Amino acid sequence: MPDEVRVQYQEELAKLEVRALEGLDLVTDQLARAIEAVEHRDSELAGLVIASDDVVDGRYLEVHQSILSLLATQAPVATDLRLIAALLHVMKNVERMGDQCVNIAKLIPLAGHEPPADERIVKDLISMGKQVRSQISQAKRAFEGRDVEMARDLVRRDDVVDNLNREIFRIALEIGDDADRREWAMTMILVARAIERTGDNTVDIGEQVAFVVTGLFREFQDASHPEGVSA
Amino acid sequence: MTQEHPSIAIAAQARGHHAPPMSREKVFEIEDLSVHYGDKPAVKNIGMDILHKNITALIGPSGCGKSTLIRCLNRMNDLIPSARVDGRLLYHGEDLYGPNVDPIQVRKLIGMVFQKPNPFPKSIYDNIAFGPRIVGMAGDMDEIVEGALRRAAIWDEVKDRLNDNAFGMSGGQQQRLCIARCIAVEPDVILMDEPCSALDPISTGKIEDLMTELKEDYSIVIVTHNMQQAARVSDMTAFLIVELTADERERWGEIVEYDETEKIFTNPSDQRTEDYVTGKVG
Repeated sequence: MPDEVRVQYQEELAKLEVRALEGLDLVTDQLARAIEAVEHRDSELAGLVIASDDVVDGRYLEVHQSILSLLATQAPVATDLRLIAALLHVMKNVERMGDQCVNIAKLIPLAGHEPPADERIVKDLISMGKQVRSQISQAKRAFEGRDVEMARDLVRRDDVVDNLNREIFRIALEIGDDADRREWAMTMILVARAIERTGDNTVDIGEQVAFVVTGLFREFQDASHPEGVSA
Repeated sequence: MTQEHPSIAIAAQARGHHAPPMSREKVFEIEDLSVHYGDKPAVKNIGMDILHKNITALIGPSGCGKSTLIRCLNRMNDLIPSARVDGRLLYHGEDLYGPNVDPIQVRKLIGMVFQKPNPFPKSIYDNIAFGPRIVGMAGDMDEIVEGALRRAAIWDEVKDRLNDNAFGMSGGQQQRLCIARCIAVEPDVILMDEPCSALDPISTGKIEDLMTELKEDYSIVIVTHNMQQAARVSDMTAFLIVELTADERERWGEIVEYDETEKIFTNPSDQRTEDYVTGKVG
């Protein structure tokens, strides 16, 4: 068996993957804080979420720079090239998920300090947040283990989030004529929408797992053709 | 066309045919080819089709038989007394090692450029004119020389000093002169055995640009240790590996994977190719 070579490069690549996937842990924490802030109408905690987004953005820039450096100096090919391309996608999704957490946090002061107009909506938002955090964790494990089946399962799990989002919309429609209650419900729809988009980001990461493993890039779900989920 | 030199007419037909860039027409069909030097195998079980007007790269670690394989394509191995070539090697459908084939004519149609530029100790003009004179090409020699130098993208650099000795040129210019010398006898195929390994990056870039231009008219096969060069210039890539007997007394080269270059460098089918192109093993 020939000796292993380019050991330092392989170590750099492995470290890059760790740093990129740790970005998912950062947004998991951000999402947890954002949902907690929604639940407790906590503007201070929301402010912390907004401030902490710099950490997520910093990680995005750090990984991005490392990717450019590896491309320029090591000319990666084959699986290494696919991994690096996938990590770029992963980091973009991490950055987007971080922004969605900020979007949620910015909505919290607008929702006021009064008790929620409808507890069911808050309960559903908490469920959505828990589900998406679990999906982020699953996306990370799927990437680390190069597990395409686990990655593909994210589509099924994301359906739960989509259903909760629709449920919140339905409840909001029936919230009544009171202007304050309606404004609160509209704000919560925007929160739900941000969480729902974060769930979509986990599916996008799952697609990158399949790309790294198979070399084929296919969307698990095509939003423009929802009936035609690719095999 | 004569009975003794069947390849000439075949090649003339081939040259008249302007194929699209990704031609699927075969210029070489290789089946179960093996080469031995004395009792020692150099390559075994080689099977591949080399496509017309494509650039085909042969890559692999030292000792995997890349140079042996490329030398089979114009019967250069005939010049090594102990070399024995078995198997089938068809050139435009005809047996390159058939009894009636003249190796000299083969080498005219299938030219070769070597690792180290090897101009003759003559003027730039005479370096180019030498081949056409030997084979008795008809036409105005000045036009032949200018045409070859133009196609090798070196005319503008040498047109005012055609009578200077070729040894006064830079390494990169000498290599392009050698390519022009190869082109001057109107070959069908150009074989290049590590043509840029002695050149600086600028000269390498010029040769690579030239190869891309030349594939409009010629089929090119290149042996290279520089995988990025293979990735940059070639359409198809074959990866060879060194196989060993259990007692490691015998070693020979075999093809592990042969596919479109993009596939080899983005998603190779064989783990050994993957390990080699990513540099995980040497």
